[in-house]
Amino acid sequence: MNASGTQPFDQVYDLGYQVNHLDWSPFPRVNYLKQTFLDRPYEIDLERLKLVTSSYKKHESQPRKIQCAYAFKNILENITIYIYDQDLILGEIAAPAKASPIYPEFSVDWIIDEILHSPFEERANDQFFIRNDSDRKEIVELCKYWQDKTVDYFVRNKLDPSQTIGSQTGDKIFQTNVYQYAGIGHLAMDYDMLMKEGYDGLINKTEKAFLNLSKKDPDYSNKEEFYQAVLIMLKASKEYIRRYADLAKAESLNIDDEVRKAEFEQLSTNCYEIAGGVPKTFWQALQLFNFATTMTQIESNGHSISYGRMDQWLYPFYKSDIASGNLTKAFALELLEVLFVKMNNPTKLKDKGTVLVRNGRGFGGESLTIGGVDNHGQDITNDLTMLILEASAHTRMMNPWVCVRMHENTPYELKVKAIECIRAGYGHPKLFNDEPTIKAMLRKGMSLYEARNYAVVGCVEPSLPGKEFGWHDAAYINTAKMLELVWNAGQCIDGGVFQKPIAPNTGSLETYKNFDEVLESVKQQLDYWCDQICSTLNIIDHAHRECKPTPYVSAFFEDCIVSGKDLTEGGAKYNGTGPQASGIATCADSLSTVKQLVFDEKKYTGAELLQALKDNWQGHEKLYALVNSSKVHHYGNDDDYADNLFKFMFEEYCNHVNHRENPRGGKYSPGVYSVNANVGMGMFTNASLDGRFKGEAISDNMGPVHTYGGSHDINGPTALANSVAKVDHSLASNGTLLNLRFPQEAVSGKTGRDNLVYFIEEYMSMNPMHVQFNIMDAKTMRAAQKNPENYKDMLVRVAGYSAYFVELGKPLQKDLIQRTELHF
Amino acid sequence: MSQTGIIFNIQHFTIHDGPGIRTEIFFKGCPLHCHWCSNPEGIACHMEVAVNRKKCISRKNCGECETVCPQPGALVFSRGKLHSINREKCIRCLQCVNACPSEALSQYGKEVSVEDCMKEIRKDLGYYKRSGGGITVSGGEPLLQSDFVAELFKTCKAEGIHTCCESSLYLDWSQVEKILPYTDLFISDIKHMDPRLHKNFTGVNNKLILENLVKLSQTDTELILRIPIIPNVNENMINIEATADFILNKLHGHVKTLQLLSFMRLGEDKYSSLNMPYNMKDVKINRTAFQSVVTKIATYMNLRGIHCIIGTKEY
Repeated sequence: MNASGTQPFDQVYDLGYQVNHLDWSPFPRVNYLKQTFLDRPYEIDLERLKLVTSSYKKHESQPRKIQCAYAFKNILENITIYIYDQDLILGEIAAPAKASPIYPEFSVDWIIDEILHSPFEERANDQFFIRNDSDRKEIVELCKYWQDKTVDYFVRNKLDPSQTIGSQTGDKIFQTNVYQYAGIGHLAMDYDMLMKEGYDGLINKTEKAFLNLSKKDPDYSNKEEFYQAVLIMLKASKEYIRRYADLAKAESLNIDDEVRKAEFEQLSTNCYEIAGGVPKTFWQALQLFNFATTMTQIESNGHSISYGRMDQWLYPFYKSDIASGNLTKAFALELLEVLFVKMNNPTKLKDKGTVLVRNGRGFGGESLTIGGVDNHGQDITNDLTMLILEASAHTRMMNPWVCVRMHENTPYELKVKAIECIRAGYGHPKLFNDEPTIKAMLRKGMSLYEARNYAVVGCVEPSLPGKEFGWHDAAYINTAKMLELVWNAGQCIDGGVFQKPIAPNTGSLETYKNFDEVLESVKQQLDYWCDQICSTLNIIDHAHRECKPTPYVSAFFEDCIVSGKDLTEGGAKYNGTGPQASGIATCADSLSTVKQLVFDEKKYTGAELLQALKDNWQGHEKLYALVNSSKVHHYGNDDDYADNLFKFMFEEYCNHVNHRENPRGGKYSPGVYSVNANVGMGMFTNASLDGRFKGEAISDNMGPVHTYGGSHDINGPTALANSVAKVDHSLASNGTLLNLRFPQEAVSGKTGRDNLVYFIEEYMSMNPMHVQFNIMDAKTMRAAQKNPENYKDMLVRVAGYSAYFVELGKPLQKDLIQRTELHF
Repeated sequence: MSQTGIIFNIQHFTIHDGPGIRTEIFFKGCPLHCHWCSNPEGIACHMEVAVNRKKCISRKNCGECETVCPQPGALVFSRGKLHSINREKCIRCLQCVNACPSEALSQYGKEVSVEDCMKEIRKDLGYYKRSGGGITVSGGEPLLQSDFVAELFKTCKAEGIHTCCESSLYLDWSQVEKILPYTDLFISDIKHMDPRLHKNFTGVNNKLILENLVKLSQTDTELILRIPIIPNVNENMINIEATADFILNKLHGHVKTLQLLSFMRLGEDKYSSLNMPYNMKDVKINRTAFQSVVTKIATYMNLRGIHCIIGTKEY
């Protein structure tokens, strides 16, 4: 393989997270920038709110798209811009670095409510800080203007009782917080097109399409508004970039240090060049990328604005700069690292309900995809693939979320490099498997040529850059909560928020005569709830179209320009909606309990099981112990009995979602992942038959059940991997997610590294879509001692001996910690 | 011919006992009883009932074991929970194990056929193929059931699976010979060179073990030797020098790797589950100081020309 970074492919990046180690980068500038990022507070900034409000007030009579365009223009013309010390890439999201702007177009009620009643500053986690009381007052005042104009307002007026009753405002069978209260995002723009055409190219293209628009077109005025809006916004973008060029130039005059002065001059030149033109250098390409991306986040606070296949669209600039001698590998790496640190700046103020299921103050989900095959199926690893992994290992921050695409011809060197990053224990990269993922893209109607160009968006959602508006991450569905209705005649186990049934009575544990009836009931509830979820999402879909179209980002989707339609109107070539299911293993093990104990062994009656749930296991200690023991079949052990029930839940969910149509002329696409929302969802889920108490986390993603009563997967990582691989992952075209924990000791040394390579190769050969690793170090073991319930699956393996860490006695735990620290 | 064996565990994704990713099968029964043994459930040849007191629900709220036990007094309770088994009264009918809902009662050892084992082994075939792994038999002493192991290994070899036997070698050479044709790798220990001390700490003399090691070194089968470094037992330089001499002079260096396994307090809970005393209970070690002793031994061995590593991984 020709591809190489600045370091050997098998460079060891140390093992495990290390507290207070902040100088991973060989570049002092990068370590400095990272430190300044960490030192900054999470503030709320008012400027965007003020500028967008004054613009809307001024243009109240204009059509919505034009209003959006003028608001965007007003922000870009007037927002305060900054150049930070030591920085080499410019551009923020209409707020100082790490401060969150406010996006009143989507929702404001919670902002007002939380400021008045549960201040952002006083949250247990994800706090944000408003600078002073006058800011606080002004936010409330400005937000009041928006109360009847938001996406959220539109949605709430359209929902019927059966939709709200099961949603976040009711029993929380499903939650649509993300898109009801904020922007959509979840896309990868066509960076390739941007780099080849620049802003001027996009403007020309839009003007041409506008010229071709005929008044014979029945949708003429809509399209006219769209083109006008796009042109206002793209032209404003150019001017905005020029503002940075001017600022850099002006500031350069005040700098004495020759080196930094030259950098400022170069920054200014870079901005002038790319304000309308195409980038001429690698540095300019990165600069253009950052402006184009951050402006998307100025337009809307939709998260998971992902970076596409960066090692591909960026490569031509790298190649020509290196060939001409204008760029060294080392400086290319430094620029990438500066950019990676900068990618952490955008933060997003979220409502407390969202924060409950999804922690994190960043926007989140900025995935950066590398590796994989080209349109013809050949491996496309290059220098940048390796450099991006190096930059990731040197910065070790939340962003970007690096994703390595793997396939059967992925070079050994890339696998090793990825694994060296993984076992450094900072959480990146995640690994994707080309074969099932490409198959999933084909299911969405794409050609093989297109499908091979997928990139990851958000957590695990495969998406086609510049072609697909997938509405990934559209809603969280709590299948464990839905199962309560299967057991209890359409009513929650505790009666629910409304103390009445919220779904049709499809039977109960007291009435099922055989296991087939149980499965049939599951299918009926799935069908009913998919109706509620999808019809709700369709309302939200309409709300965005009506209230907050996004013409700026639409310009980076060629089909939008050709068709004259905004992304929210279905302008993209592929238009999905991807709600994701959580708690599948909780359901699988619950079904296993019923099948085995009630129908196969006849040890218990359904009525007894139902009573145990209603009593939250109190007084049912024997049953509780039994369902948490290995005497009952559990998913994740390479045991077909339970794995088949997982497969049933997985496939039924996917099949009930697949093929439904959305308002943008596209289809629904199911995902099976929860990220960490399984913890929040568990809080309002009653006891479940997998041996879970009320309030405990439900199972995560594709993972097995872990309850206070014990870990249900007891056969190690190969067994779990084999279980996970038994389902057809391509059915979940919106992605699947598997977290695997390995103790650091198991992956240490060359032998440990190679075993991990082989493990991953074999796992991938069985066609699952994704895997990411958590490498447990001494620090984690200490954390496990303190909070054992969070580390139930942490297996430690010593020669001829293995056990769950949290189940070991204190002296041995101490010994193992020392062993990890001393590397023996 | 359908052989059966008694095993107490099949462990997937083992990465310490032999190369690559392996499945390890633990056999019941061992002629030694080393003070530091981490698998005390492997010592007795027959099935045993184990008590995990922490998991007991309570005599009052459960009592399933008492209901089914045919031997009055076999189950010993204290403070409302199952405490232990009176091994003299217990007839190992296992009814209590089957009845216990919480796994407070469990069984060490079950009878399996070669095909039962193969079913588990084949689940991870792909992992072995890619990683150069395979299966390892351990225990206990697997060669107490050498006919079964021979049959198992023969089947594995027919399916292209790498085989490794971890044995104390405290048995008649004829038992070793049964499996030799189907064995790719042996792992064995030198626990102590002094016959008297060896007997003190393991219950048996080391003469047979050393003789068998010499015989094994004269075959083509690969051999990994281990020294479990136990504080105040075998880490003194007199013993270490004698071990090195033996490896060089008697085995003629026919050892792929010498692995030093530092003592760890493994298995303590398992001792109590079998109401067995844990001999190492009072051992207190300064881990950092002890590790430097182990490092010194490794350095010494390598200076003597013996390829020696700490732990089980090459590097």
